[in-house]
Amino acid sequence: MTINLKTSEVPNREQRLGTIIRWEGVASDLVLDSHATYGPKKNCGQQGRKLCELDSPFTQGNMCAECVTIGQGIMIKGSVVIQHSPIGCAAIQAMISRLNRDMTNQRGWKLENPRLICSNLTEDDMVFGGLAKLEQTIRDAWKRYHPAVILIATSCATGIIGDDVDSLSSKLEAEIGVKVVPMHCEGFRAKHWSSGFDISGHAILRQLVNKNPTKKQDDLVNVLHLGGPDIYTPMLAKLGLRCNLVMGGSTMSQLEQLPEAAATAAMCTVLSYLAAGLEQEYGVPEVKVPTPYGLKATDEWLREVARITHREDRVEEVIASEHARIKPQLDRLRKDLKGKKGYIAAGATFAHGLIADLRELEVEVDGVLSFHHDPVYDSNDVEQDMLAEAIQTFGDVPHYTVSISQHFQAYTSLHRSKPDFIIARHNMAALAASLGIPGAQIRFFNDGVGYDGLLRIGELIRRTLLTKKFSQSLAAHSSLPYKQWWLDQTDPFALSRKEVTPEGNSHANFSCQ
Amino acid sequence: MSTKAKKIAIYGKGGIGKSTTTSNISAALAESGYKVMQFGCDPKSDSTNTLRDGEYIPSVLDLMRENRKVDAHQAIFRGFGGTYCVEAGGPQPGVGCAGRGIIAAVQLLEQQDIFEELELDYVIFDVLGDVVCGGFAVPIREGIADHVFTVSSADFMAIYAANNLFRGIQSYSNTGGALLGGVIANSINTPFHRDILDDFVERTHTKIMEYIPRSLTVTQSELQGKTTIEAAPDSEQADIYRRLADRIAKHTKSTVPSPLSSSELRTWSASWATQLIENERAQQAPESVYAGVNDDN
Repeated sequence: MTINLKTSEVPNREQRLGTIIRWEGVASDLVLDSHATYGPKKNCGQQGRKLCELDSPFTQGNMCAECVTIGQGIMIKGSVVIQHSPIGCAAIQAMISRLNRDMTNQRGWKLENPRLICSNLTEDDMVFGGLAKLEQTIRDAWKRYHPAVILIATSCATGIIGDDVDSLSSKLEAEIGVKVVPMHCEGFRAKHWSSGFDISGHAILRQLVNKNPTKKQDDLVNVLHLGGPDIYTPMLAKLGLRCNLVMGGSTMSQLEQLPEAAATAAMCTVLSYLAAGLEQEYGVPEVKVPTPYGLKATDEWLREVARITHREDRVEEVIASEHARIKPQLDRLRKDLKGKKGYIAAGATFAHGLIADLRELEVEVDGVLSFHHDPVYDSNDVEQDMLAEAIQTFGDVPHYTVSISQHFQAYTSLHRSKPDFIIARHNMAALAASLGIPGAQIRFFNDGVGYDGLLRIGELIRRTLLTKKFSQSLAAHSSLPYKQWWLDQTDPFALSRKEVTPEGNSHANFSCQ
Repeated sequence: MSTKAKKIAIYGKGGIGKSTTTSNISAALAESGYKVMQFGCDPKSDSTNTLRDGEYIPSVLDLMRENRKVDAHQAIFRGFGGTYCVEAGGPQPGVGCAGRGIIAAVQLLEQQDIFEELELDYVIFDVLGDVVCGGFAVPIREGIADHVFTVSSADFMAIYAANNLFRGIQSYSNTGGALLGGVIANSINTPFHRDILDDFVERTHTKIMEYIPRSLTVTQSELQGKTTIEAAPDSEQADIYRRLADRIAKHTKSTVPSPLSSSELRTWSASWATQLIENERAQQAPESVYAGVNDDN
């Protein structure tokens, strides 16, 4: 689907990409079905079927696109984000503040609290409209902070009453002379929080980039990431390239110069909306190969960046020297980790990347839990399919679970896999610890990227395996809030199977695309 | 054609003849060779029925409920003269939120660039009644419709609804919203009806686009599931709709109306009510006085 910048709202990921949040099976089937439903039938010895999604009668808790959108907005230096919502939505501000301080610290910036204001809508505002309060809040924000940009995040409440945030934003932007940017992130708009990344990417494309770039910077590469330390500048410097690191913490001028760059690389596929938009609108090519996890994907990623930026002459030398540099440590790690069994629980791109990293380290992986699945990306280019690449390079994953960060399903899947350790995001490591499984909690997405990322993950696993006794002690003093019936299950979607026939065949409760 | 479609929103109190008028405008424009889309913004989903032989079509919201990925083309049906018919749809009375439904349906077509892709000359939004919440105001916001027209009879309740709409337009006018083209005077069978509406538009600084008499031809056509343009193309009523469509087609400059305040409206309607009673007392047989106005019947 072409990216449409004429409207301020973004179609959600399920509409654009067919995103699903519940699936269970063999990873290669997910790839085949995704390609059969949405993409060209590539890499398929056999035909896939229509991609189907399981239902669930129960959800343990979740977050929404609004949380992500606000988090993204606040990472723009000098910004104010206004949450145009009732006060309950502002509960997320504590978590966002923590993430933002963490990011600020990692980047070596001055430690500041995010400037995040809630318009605090009440019954009267629901009845009479919330725009007067929003206008007052924008004026207050301007008076108090004189920010570089004012970003407005809408909420479910304002979406239902139909507050015309766009018109008010244009009016006040003209009046106060600073960008006032609406971001339509009502939580009910999308079933997965990652739509929030598209909403912030859309706001950047529509209002924050310099729409009339007068020059090209041939040695500049836009890298879109999820926050954390800047590991990309040194990686690209080896090719004589400079890095414009955005989304996970950037300045307004970095966003303005996005259209001037020679290429854009989205380090996570949830950020690829902005990359696709920059290619469509400004001809900045997107790096359309899997993100650099593991040796092979990192080699290919560097080659693709070099090809786009015309640096093919030096890339092979860089790759060879990097391989040689990491070899001694990589060999040691492989020796230590060979034969261990790991379990991965992470967002889609990260999960795919970790399959590559772990198997490169000769760790066995038979169970993976991914928080969502995109059958295709905004580029519509199947070459970007990281899961296909990972299983083609390293073999299939027999138990691949798509679950929107649901602990009860992660438990079942872990219980089935019985790994030596788990490597995870979103607090899944704590769940594993209560089962006596050592857990490596990943703080930053960037941790596993590139040649050094492979080593970092290897070292993290080695350290984690040393905590086995500690985890077992934790397990001895922990219990899970489930009945024995659930504790005995090995199917994370047992609740979704409607009926079980006498022959033991179950019929899943699902919907197909 | 390469120019942008002219987008028009038609509002009015429920039952005032809004869909009838809108469908006849669409049919008349289509008859003149224009590419027209009629977009019904009413949960009843019956705006476009008379363009399609009385048939209901699946609405945008029906599709959104049934499919995870919606191709907006599936919500577009062809009607009389090649018109493109779309119904936003909405919930059953008493449940859900019809306003949010309009927001979602209009956004879907905007996001998929349907209005540009079909290279339409006219998009006509037929919007339910009063502007009861933000959702019903979507067509008059910046960037959706270019001009708003309201259908009103000389009935005070219909005029109240029109005045309410003027308030909505006035408030959105500060932020780039659509402005008012004028009032389509419907069911005008006596000079007295005409006088009431003439006075109202003068006080609110707008104009009458056309006076449309109440007509049995319209009822007969609707009973066949057709517009008057289609069912009775040679009738005088059809010519009135054609004249209205032509005026709307040629209309370029809309303005900000000056709605009456609640107390002004009350005083104004009371003065007309007094006159109405006096007239009726003075004239024993008002029907005979005004005979001939309704000559299409």
